[in-house]
Amino acid sequence: MERRNFLNAASAGLAASLLAACGGGDPTTSDARPVVDRSKTPQPVTTSTTAKARVIVIGGGMGGATVAKYLRLWGDAISVTLIERMPTYTSNIMSSMVLSGQRTLGSLSYNYDTLRSKYGISTVFGEVVAVDPVGGKVTMADKTVLVADRIVMAPGISFDTVPGLGTSDKMPHAWQAGPQTTLLANQLKAMTAGFNHNVVLTIPKTPYRCPPGPYERACLIADWLRVNKPGSKLIVLDANLDFVTEKDNFSRAFLGIHGNVIEYHTDAEIFEVNPANMSLTTTKGITYHGDVVNMIPRQRAGSLIATAGLNNAPDGRFAGVNVLSYASTVSGADKVHIIGDSSATTQPKAGHIANQEAKVCADAISRILSGGSPDPAPVTNSACYSTITMSQASWLTAVFQYDGGVMKPVLASSAASPDWNQGNFDQMGTWFKALMADSFA
Amino acid sequence: MHRVRFLFMGLALAATVASAQTTVGQPGRLLASNCFQCHGTNGKGPGFDSLAGKSSSEIYKELKEFQSGKEGNGIMARHAMAYTDAQMQLIANWFASQK
Repeated sequence: MERRNFLNAASAGLAASLLAACGGGDPTTSDARPVVDRSKTPQPVTTSTTAKARVIVIGGGMGGATVAKYLRLWGDAISVTLIERMPTYTSNIMSSMVLSGQRTLGSLSYNYDTLRSKYGISTVFGEVVAVDPVGGKVTMADKTVLVADRIVMAPGISFDTVPGLGTSDKMPHAWQAGPQTTLLANQLKAMTAGFNHNVVLTIPKTPYRCPPGPYERACLIADWLRVNKPGSKLIVLDANLDFVTEKDNFSRAFLGIHGNVIEYHTDAEIFEVNPANMSLTTTKGITYHGDVVNMIPRQRAGSLIATAGLNNAPDGRFAGVNVLSYASTVSGADKVHIIGDSSATTQPKAGHIANQEAKVCADAISRILSGGSPDPAPVTNSACYSTITMSQASWLTAVFQYDGGVMKPVLASSAASPDWNQGNFDQMGTWFKALMADSFA
Repeated sequence: MHRVRFLFMGLALAATVASAQTTVGQPGRLLASNCFQCHGTNGKGPGFDSLAGKSSSEIYKELKEFQSGKEGNGIMARHAMAYTDAQMQLIANWFASQK
């Protein structure tokens, strides 16, 4: 009993010092303070009363949740505060199956309870408005300031403005799972079937989140249209010059089994759209119409990256990082680490590899904070399954070895399945369950 | 008295173990974590085959078989082809050490 009380007191003191040190004032007098739910903060597995190093993680997606978990799993010398807008996360992975009615959004929902109870992570649900990468300070929308020894940013992606779209909800991207997914699913369900009642799906220029994602969605929608909206077509407008990835499988599927449904155009970048008459015009001046339009815009790092001045990758869209630790390469900002879709590396932007980048980052931070240096030879991997039909899937994989400052793909391991089948579809379910548990539980 | 002392020693030991884990890290751990996404955190599921506590030689042998292509060109074969012999050995040893 005594030990438990002592630990509780230590934990409360720690949380208080985190807030006090940030100049956030008395949190109880602030009406819009971030929620630090101490009732759910577990007794940390504390074995020492010495001050812990403090790490703030911004963003609770695949990368953010995983780095928070592994910073705690791999050592008790660090206290971790995870800041996230929403108390629940909706998985982007598998969310195209909500469009085909095979999944519910609820089945893709994850929360942070296990990260709190099992690993002693503190959570703050609120909006970050500023990050001071040199001073290690994070400012919340309610003016609360949190300070840390290290900050890990995992803010995912943001979208380019689509000229002509304005605030219309008639051309959802559904590329961040949630209300947009529901919107698109409902539009698909409600559309009239038949000749000249078509769906348009746009694929942005690389790099974007989940390279095979738009192609697998196209396959899934095509299979769904064939059954549910006979006679309707899916027009795919790809801003790239060719299939971005897994060309063998996707081209065979587009031209073969989905050949009667899919009309595929490459080098078709969207110049502007008009939601009033549901049209899209490409940079070459060709106009297309759709009853339903899935407009996936071009992407850049989550907006906080640019706000903090960390978008130093060549075209200013993403954050340059040292892939040994994912520390920013902006001068003076090396105590800020950027993982997942926001970072500019040779690795794809996707949930599975964000999870592995998070582990490399967590391991590096643990080593650095205890006076060491990052593992000099990290390895990361990517694996994913893509739906080719509503009951069959393919897979795609890549492994990256550190080599001369970059994560270099190992050629023999950069491969796709030779075919698609039901077995892969079943394995997809196992893979997804395992990946989400490794990230959130 | 004896009981109190025993508890105290227990705590001290726990502290030592925790700090050793923190400062040193474990050889193979970060490499092995590439397997966690599909085989579960620490190789303990949920997911595909559980790896924790399997013998090092068994895991190494399976990885080598995948790498050689004897097991076909499935997703595990492709993964195994990326790792050096030394890396495979570290991975195998690390999972074997997990109880």
